[in-house]
Amino acid sequence: MSHKIAVQVDDLTVAYNYKPVLWDIDLEIPEGVLMAIVGPNGAGKSTLIKSILGILKPIAGSVSIYGKSYEKQRSLVAYVPQKGSVDWDFPTTALDVVLMGTYGSLGWIKRPKQKQKKAALEALEKVGMLPFKNRQISQLSGGQQQRIFLARALVQDASIYFMDEPFQGVDATTEIAIINILKELRKAGKTVIVVHHDLQTVPEYFDWVTFLNVKKIATGPVKDIFNDDNLTKTYGINYKVSIQE
Amino acid sequence: MNSAQLEIQLIASLVAVACAIPGTFLVLRKMAMISDAISHSILPGIVVGFFITQDLNSPLLIVLAALTGVITVVLVEYIQKTGLVKEDTAIGLVFPVLFSIGVLMIAKRANDIHLDIDAVLVGELALAPFDRLIISGVDVGPKSLWIIGSILIITIILLIAFFKELKLSTFDKGLAASLGFSPVIIHYGLMTVSSVTTVGAFDAVGAILVVALMIAPSATAYLLTTDLKKMLLLSIIFGVFSAISGYWFAHWLDASIAGSITTMLGFLFLMVYLFAPSKGVIAVLYREKQQRTEVSLLTFLLHLKNHDEVQERHVNHLNEHINWQKVRSKTVLDLALKNNMIIIDNHIVSLTSKGDEFTTQAIDYIITNEDAQIEDMKDDFFLFRG
Repeated sequence: MSHKIAVQVDDLTVAYNYKPVLWDIDLEIPEGVLMAIVGPNGAGKSTLIKSILGILKPIAGSVSIYGKSYEKQRSLVAYVPQKGSVDWDFPTTALDVVLMGTYGSLGWIKRPKQKQKKAALEALEKVGMLPFKNRQISQLSGGQQQRIFLARALVQDASIYFMDEPFQGVDATTEIAIINILKELRKAGKTVIVVHHDLQTVPEYFDWVTFLNVKKIATGPVKDIFNDDNLTKTYGINYKVSIQE
Repeated sequence: MNSAQLEIQLIASLVAVACAIPGTFLVLRKMAMISDAISHSILPGIVVGFFITQDLNSPLLIVLAALTGVITVVLVEYIQKTGLVKEDTAIGLVFPVLFSIGVLMIAKRANDIHLDIDAVLVGELALAPFDRLIISGVDVGPKSLWIIGSILIITIILLIAFFKELKLSTFDKGLAASLGFSPVIIHYGLMTVSSVTTVGAFDAVGAILVVALMIAPSATAYLLTTDLKKMLLLSIIFGVFSAISGYWFAHWLDASIAGSITTMLGFLFLMVYLFAPSKGVIAVLYREKQQRTEVSLLTFLLHLKNHDEVQERHVNHLNEHINWQKVRSKTVLDLALKNNMIIIDNHIVSLTSKGDEFTTQAIDYIITNEDAQIEDMKDDFFLFRG
């Protein structure tokens, strides 16, 4: 693994109404890892991602993507928000949602053309959703909606992918399909950062992990730091999981 | 039809189009009530502008009123952000205060001149043709027509230029922000356009009815389409239709034009709400009935498949056994017979090979619940539908 740092977070503090939800976070994410961010509800996992992506303004600290500010490196980053963050009754089709992934490279005013449409169709193909391209998005199952979101991130052709709970409310088949695509991305040298809930699957899916609960508890390779000690520190109770090697 | 009538219909139609465009996005952003707030709270802006210029059609009025509209949105969001009250409460707090300041100013300073409370509430579309725009001695038409026309042209240019950005930030604010399309800028852009349009429409239809023109056509269109561009187009068509038919309705009743237009909008919504092909009440009820029958049929076929014993398959026994009323049993039996799923021989029901295959497939569909298979099955499984 290369030692290049893809994402660097320094002294990041984020507050909602003066109540800190993230406190003095220092984090270095090396290039090419498939990393899970785990922690209890309200630990600030989504907040951390949103702050890195400039969606939320931190009250202190800084973030850099390959050594530069996020604003300068937007094109290197793709983002999959929580499925529940959008209104799926919005009048649009699966293909159109995936096309939205190309808007960033287009910039203001310019419209997607044939080239962008082709890329969107390829991304739909990759997530097995091509037959649904003209389907209205409310007519898709939860798993299909998540695949559409993933396709939208793939079409951005980024170096770093941030995903907020991509496995929430999807069936087992979709979960496997998604994790296989994430593993492929890592194989292609991309960095993938996933907010994750299911502790049992961490060793199987990920090679890097960050424990978060308002403060950063630990970050590093799953095989070194995914242990009862860190889980207990993060979740506050005596947490035991059996870790399959 | 004389030229004044034509001008009134033209103004009403342009107002309807200018309202339908921002209205569509307000409906999709679940901000319908904000348009109500804006339409009321721009009043002090209009009054102050009128005091300064003594002209109801001065561009300064539009600028000041639009500014008040945006201030309304800022105030609502500020109150909401304190976390002390919810958004609807914040809206309910802000606009009556601003509106009543406007009402007091009119009562105190402008009561005996052109601006009066009635006109503020429901507009004076019938009087619009009397206020002409004269350029170097030539009459070029009613002033309201020029005002709303200019606003409409700007709105259309902005819509075409920023359609992609509007769509993205309306659907997914988070992605818009991460891609560098500031949702805040787009939000306030939309609010400014909504405010300006409201001012332009204010003169014609007043503070209360402008809300109807913004919200009703889009809400109606939303029931009919799953495509944003079509939704915009349908809202425009519904708006214009209501404007023109409302005018003639008022003509026939000898009543308020704005009131008639709004009544038409309400009527149109009711019709679509009842009769829309997929989301309409009647279509939904029909579909539910169909689905009940389909499930009953499948239950019945499964029962047949699971029981080889002759006594379990006797027609009368089925009535008692599945515990259905006679009518429902008959419907299901008839349906199965009609589709060659079963044969009845001497009161004993048996699955045909077609019925057997269908049942197996349907069970597969229910158990595996695989996306791809559902696609293949859908046509077969819902073969009784439509």
